[in-house]
Amino acid sequence: MRNMTILVVDDDPVIRRMLEKRLEKEGYEVLIAEDGYQAKKIFPQQHIDVVLTDLIMPGSIGGIEVLDIAKKINPTIEVILITAHSSVDTAVEAMKKGAADYLEKPINFDELFLRLEKIANLQSIMRNAMDLSQAMDTTESAAAVTIQNLEIRNAELQGRLNAIETILRDKQSPPYDQVDKVLDLLAAENNIIIYPQ
Amino acid sequence: MLKISPDELKLVAQYIHDISGIYLDQSKSYLFETRLSSIVSEYDFKSFKELYQKAKTESDKIIERKIIDAISTNETLFYRDKGPFELLQHKLLPELIDARTPGSPALKTNIKIWSAASSTGQELYSIAITLKELLPDFSRYTIKLLGTDISDGAVAQASRGKYNKFEMERGLPGDKLQRYFTMFGDSWTIKDEIRAMVQFRKLNLMLPFADLGKFDIIFCRNVAIYFTLPDRQKLFNKIADSLADDGYLIIGSTESLTGICPLFVPKRYLRSIFYQKK
Ligand SMILES: C[S@@+](CC[C@H](N)C(=O)[O-])C[C@H]1O[C@@H](n2cnc3c(N)ncnc32)[C@H](O)[C@@H]1O
Repeated sequence: MRNMTILVVDDDPVIRRMLEKRLEKEGYEVLIAEDGYQAKKIFPQQHIDVVLTDLIMPGSIGGIEVLDIAKKINPTIEVILITAHSSVDTAVEAMKKGAADYLEKPINFDELFLRLEKIANLQSIMRNAMDLSQAMDTTESAAAVTIQNLEIRNAELQGRLNAIETILRDKQSPPYDQVDKVLDLLAAENNIIIYPQ
Repeated sequence: MLKISPDELKLVAQYIHDISGIYLDQSKSYLFETRLSSIVSEYDFKSFKELYQKAKTESDKIIERKIIDAISTNETLFYRDKGPFELLQHKLLPELIDARTPGSPALKTNIKIWSAASSTGQELYSIAITLKELLPDFSRYTIKLLGTDISDGAVAQASRGKYNKFEMERGLPGDKLQRYFTMFGDSWTIKDEIRAMVQFRKLNLMLPFADLGKFDIIFCRNVAIYFTLPDRQKLFNKIADSLADDGYLIIGSTESLTGICPLFVPKRYLRSIFYQKK
């Protein structure tokens, strides 16, 4: 069992059946739509990884429209178009709109399986990259909190050191006063416990 | 893949540091090999020494530029870390506008913001969108938004304002995506109204940049991390000179200026920190 669900969209029942059988035999999960309208209904209900659609189908939802609908619902869905040799130009146009690939009829199954495998590899790399970047984001935001606290704390301590230095350098003031002032400064800003002598 | 020898490693690492300030860990030889492999095969270099010598002596600096593109990490995203953009919207810009608005209504308010390592532009476009949403009456302001980066490739992509779906999905809320971008196929392009607010150009932060003038806000995020301590110190001293006396500096969320530049004090606002000159 492969971890990929493929939606087959084709108005020709013979091709539909054949695709379904071959793909299932390869271990893919297969969903079937008889035309663009059915496909449109399936998209929001099922998780789909790859769409295999005929380019030209009856009605106003052809392969290109299926591609648009799929990408709008989830841009990570990959779409492979099945075309007659005569409509290769349209298929190339479709690739500019985000189709992953196209296959000419009659379908060469070895070729199809190879492309599906490539897509599966790519999707798993993508998922992996996304997991990694998520893990990195988490680490980064945890580190950011720590660093920001340290940064502010350090600035506070630096400020206090400067104030203490000013007090101690003041030759006019009696030493006991200086000590009191310094102890006040230490106690007030930094919950440091100062033990009485 | 072509292997790099220990001697070549030293040579190439030193060279990369000289041209970009980027310090690469010499214990990671695979990093040099993988990142430079496409240049090696493009020119059919037989050794890294050959690559080094060609890059160094070549007058039009094409290989040097390619090396910089290859070794610089351009990782960035829209609204990276979120905090700085909330800070911009709720604190820095309102304060700046108060401070900069001239007495006479006939005069415009001038604001200059710099993204000092803008990579592929996401940071500066996020700033531009924040400004656009905050300032309804744009004609009353003269706003200069500048993005600079050492990588030609990054500057070129930033200027095009074109991003693929993976770059878009990271960090950009859906409503902003619809409002400020146009989709074509798998890629998205920033709309002209935002594009017109910004300007990108090439700049090596290791070189002097006082001629850019003074800025009110400088974003210098996630670039100094690639530099050595002395280079970081020099950089932030120069940045202090380029910042208005009451201006604001924002660095990366995991960066710190402790031990790097005593001219700045950190200040906290909500979830983020910004710096001002002492
Ligand atoms: C990780 S990106 C940071 C982008 C953005 N500021 C952010 O935080 O998302 C680092 C960028 O710094 C650029 N860079 C590296 N060395 C540089 C230098 N000496 N001068 C200018 N830019 C440099 C790289 O080309 C890269 O695009």
